[in-house]
Amino acid sequence: MNPVKLVLKELLYRRVNSFIILLTVIVSSTVSVAIYSLSKASENETRVIMKEQGLNLYIFPKGTNLIDFYSVNGTPTFPDSYVDTLAGSRTFDAVRHLTGILQVKYPDWTDPNGSLHQIVVVGYRDEAMQRFLPKQEIMGTDVLKGTVHVGAFLARNIPEGEPFRIKGDDGAMHEFRIEKRFEEGKGMLDQGVAFNLEDLQQLLGMKGQINKIEALGCVCKDGRIKNARKQVQAIFADLEVTEISSIADARENQRLMMNKYGSFIIPFVILSSLLISGLLFYSNVLTRRHEIGILKAMGKNKFYILFIILFKAFILGLIGSIAGFFLGSLFADYFGKEIFRFTAMDIKPLWMVFGVSIIIFPVLWMLSGWIPALVATQIDAARTLSQE
Amino acid sequence: MLEIKNITKKYTKGTARYTALDDVSLNIDKGEFVTVVGPSGSGKSTLLHTAGGLIHPDSGQVIFKGKDIYSLNSHDAELYRKQNVSFVFQQFHLMPYLTVYENIKMSCYKPGQCDNIDQYLKDCNLIEHKFKFPSELSVGEKQRTAFIRAIITGPDLLFADEPTGNLDELNSSVIFSLIGDYHKKGGTVLLVSHDPEVTKYSTRTIKLQSGKIMN
Repeated sequence: MNPVKLVLKELLYRRVNSFIILLTVIVSSTVSVAIYSLSKASENETRVIMKEQGLNLYIFPKGTNLIDFYSVNGTPTFPDSYVDTLAGSRTFDAVRHLTGILQVKYPDWTDPNGSLHQIVVVGYRDEAMQRFLPKQEIMGTDVLKGTVHVGAFLARNIPEGEPFRIKGDDGAMHEFRIEKRFEEGKGMLDQGVAFNLEDLQQLLGMKGQINKIEALGCVCKDGRIKNARKQVQAIFADLEVTEISSIADARENQRLMMNKYGSFIIPFVILSSLLISGLLFYSNVLTRRHEIGILKAMGKNKFYILFIILFKAFILGLIGSIAGFFLGSLFADYFGKEIFRFTAMDIKPLWMVFGVSIIIFPVLWMLSGWIPALVATQIDAARTLSQE
Repeated sequence: MLEIKNITKKYTKGTARYTALDDVSLNIDKGEFVTVVGPSGSGKSTLLHTAGGLIHPDSGQVIFKGKDIYSLNSHDAELYRKQNVSFVFQQFHLMPYLTVYENIKMSCYKPGQCDNIDQYLKDCNLIEHKFKFPSELSVGEKQRTAFIRAIITGPDLLFADEPTGNLDELNSSVIFSLIGDYHKKGGTVLLVSHDPEVTKYSTRTIKLQSGKIMN
């Protein structure tokens, strides 16, 4: 008789044993898939929130006094070519959306009405394309040459249609077309003006200089600041990385905590289930010792005996992993939609996980049946078959 | 056909060591029906299992077609059990999840070997139970199923270990008669039994006591 048919018949005959083993697979795969899917959902949520928050990492020259950064001039500068070096590095992937910035206080800007103001002028370099990373949507502020974006408070003092005028380091007045008038709520920029970096460098006589890089930290395994700092300083030891605290931090911590618990819970559940199912396979072998004895007396070899135990484990592992994947995805969908508001609609079954689990769980359950299967091959047919 | 030469087998029980077979030699010719009788613990089953390739003796040889079966590699030893010998036990050892038909078919190892299952089932009055499971059979029907399973492949030697030990008188007669018919058709049998009725069918009876052949 075909051994596959024999396994299927035995599996259905000893339903309770088979069902409990199946249950152990389902529990393990459900927990694993649910936790993994939720952790992915958490990662996506963190990513989206971080995007909403804007660029969250600042890269400065070491020694910059961050307390004074916005209130005084003369903060240390560094060459804007650093941005290209970072963007061109093959190993630099923990930081994205690199935007070189020159930000200084301009103490005596005269508005069209003749009033004197202290304003912030910020020059933005076009966001750097990272050579070895996939192309991404631009997140930074890109200002075209010859134009400016004017903060809400300043814009009130400049009539519509008029250019923005400012006195340069060379003593001459320079004119820029106002491309955009910001709404209130841009923070520092409400009382400032955004330039193209080259325009501002020329205006201030600071050619090739910037004093910070704004960027977006990755959603990395070890946390973004740690990774970002490590990678930046590996290339430029004279730079420092700092992070803007935000809601993203809370999400990030939540995600890291979830990963931490997940990395404990998943192996714990899987190992416990494997142990239980190993004992169940062992009990199954003991129950079947006469069957195994007669198979040996019939001349069936040890591979046949191994096959009938391990194939049963494979079948249960496969069915359990499929059921567990859908159950786990269902749990992740249900709870994920409650927890992750921004990405609720993006929580979908992870088909890559499906592919992995239909390989991993059958293999794991075959391993759990391995020792019982070896025991089965060692059954003494003569002794077993003589027992009354 | 089968030559058992100076077989000795000792068992250890706790600290005690006892001899199940003590330098036993026996020849079984093709077409013989040899019965081994003797009291419990005399070594009857050990002799049968040793001859069948299931128990490795401590010393001695079991020679089948000129080869010592215990010097065969594991693959050839499996082939010996698969193609040359078969067993009927006191416990029927049927697969509980297979029907009568499927249990018999289990022992077939090459195409066409099981084509005449129905004829055997008819001869053994089991045809109406063909698709029943062992739990639906009487003990006599179970042993008849086990008997057909043992002879369906046409083995050179049939080993029967107390095949009627669990049966009543009527069913015992039926089983002995079936084994007798198998022998008449040219089968070679080595049977172990307490039942004196078996001697009516056998061509030779061997008495075993304390691991030694007495006659």
